[in-house]
Amino acid sequence: MSIEVRNLTKTFGSFVALRDVSFTVHSGELVALLGPSGSGKTTLLRVIAGLETPDVGSVFFDGDEATRRDPRDRGVGFVFQHYALFRHMTVFENVAFGLRVRPRDQRPSQDDISRRVHELLGLVQLDYLGDRYPSQLSGGQRQRVALARALAVEPRVLLLDEPFGALDARVRQELRRWLRRLHQEIHLTSVFVTHDQEEALELANRVVVMNDGKIEQDAPPGEVIEKPATPFVSNFLGDVNLFHGRVQVEMHDKNGTPTPMELDGERAEAVRVIVGDRVYVRPRSNEVRSNN
Amino acid sequence: MLTEPAAIRVLLTGTCLGFVALFLVLPLTVVFVEAFRNGIGPYFESVREPDAIAALELTLIAAAFAVPANLVFGVAAGWAIAKFRFPGRTLLTTLIDLPFAVSPVISGMVFVLLFGRQGVLGPWVAEQDLRIVFAIPGIVLATIFVSFPFVAREVIPVMEAAGTQEEEAARVLGASGWQTFFRVTLPNIKWGVLYGAILCNARAMGEFGAVSVVSGKIRGETNTLPLHVEILYNEYMFQAAFAVASLLTLLAVVTLVVKTILERRLHGGSA
Repeated sequence: MSIEVRNLTKTFGSFVALRDVSFTVHSGELVALLGPSGSGKTTLLRVIAGLETPDVGSVFFDGDEATRRDPRDRGVGFVFQHYALFRHMTVFENVAFGLRVRPRDQRPSQDDISRRVHELLGLVQLDYLGDRYPSQLSGGQRQRVALARALAVEPRVLLLDEPFGALDARVRQELRRWLRRLHQEIHLTSVFVTHDQEEALELANRVVVMNDGKIEQDAPPGEVIEKPATPFVSNFLGDVNLFHGRVQVEMHDKNGTPTPMELDGERAEAVRVIVGDRVYVRPRSNEVRSNN
Repeated sequence: MLTEPAAIRVLLTGTCLGFVALFLVLPLTVVFVEAFRNGIGPYFESVREPDAIAALELTLIAAAFAVPANLVFGVAAGWAIAKFRFPGRTLLTTLIDLPFAVSPVISGMVFVLLFGRQGVLGPWVAEQDLRIVFAIPGIVLATIFVSFPFVAREVIPVMEAAGTQEEEAARVLGASGWQTFFRVTLPNIKWGVLYGAILCNARAMGEFGAVSVVSGKIRGETNTLPLHVEILYNEYMFQAAFAVASLLTLLAVVTLVVKTILERRLHGGSA
């Protein structure tokens, strides 16, 4: 499903959270809302989910006006920053919740619910924890339960608020890769909020950089790094290490025509380049090792 | 680690135990000793006497109205105060405590001034052929009023601690308002609600001041247990007075036991 927001403004008392924000998420995209805290990115996500009503402006789902639509009728899956799992329910019941509260005529049978929940818990690799309560899980496990719960209702959009914010670095890496794979498998239109530029640049097809309630730049990750649209963007992304280069080795097939070659990295997706192409490497401080 | 000298420890514990003995254990013992002064037979006679039974019934009726009414009100007020920001929220929080702040006698007077023959709504009440003051409705109203803060007081902190995220999650997952309340909100606050209901019940059954003003003390009709005890005592029927008082004491003991069990669930329970 595509999402379009047009001229959104939202204030809380004297605090302006969103100032005339417009942007579009195309169907199947994975978009990051990136910005410092207080930049309005979470408010924007909550307006899309229907948890906040904008003062001015509209939200469209697949071209249909949905600004005042009740959150329960929007078909969105929402993963909260602190997961918001139902603490008095087991993991199984948490995931089943969205199916159990459907109107009687649309509610799946007990067996179907059970099958679906186990399928989802399998997808997040937690099937063996169905009987536990949220308080008995680690942060990463709670995060994955929250994801399974959001996916259970077969949402047309997945919204994630700082999905990896409260996790330690190693778990974060793992979940990031996992989310990326998930998105490649099911192509669910997804928007996630983050203040971590690496997360945004690594995961998203498109990065929307926000500051002070406004969109500073809306572009693919490469462009955000290479051509920051405003001083804020270049400042905010300033501590990214970037090494530019140009492909020098020429590869030919047997007929002597130049052929592309594959550049590969541990984390990066393989890219095909040809002699003369500009490339850049962005090593991360926490992954640089010495050979000695 | 305790570092106080033994003498101070003994002094503190001794003072505390002495105080408890003097002000709690001794009076309670006196109630039962006096109640059984003339033996078991007269005890049951005074308890089974029609006026005593009527008083017990009226006390239970008043509590049966006050507890559900204040449950609904308390949870609703807690929900509004803990989950929403609206103008007048602080005022509402303060107003909830009003029955604690004013003297019960004044609480009773309010209803007499409102619904009594000379009261503001007196003529209207008379027109409807209703009796509120010096009748059961007045007693129920006064009881509701004085026991009104208990549930709300217990529920508000529990709800505030729980926050609103789980409710938002439920809404996004497709739950209606009622489903959200019954499946998410209520299970999270149930021990707080029960605890508040127990306290509310204790106050409703024991209330003297406010009820005494609106009751008119018509024997067998508008007497609650506490009022009945007072009347018997004033008529020098000490044994009967203490026998009826022992009923109230037993109700209080049951309440305390239930409360202790609930407290354990509330603070020690994992779910």
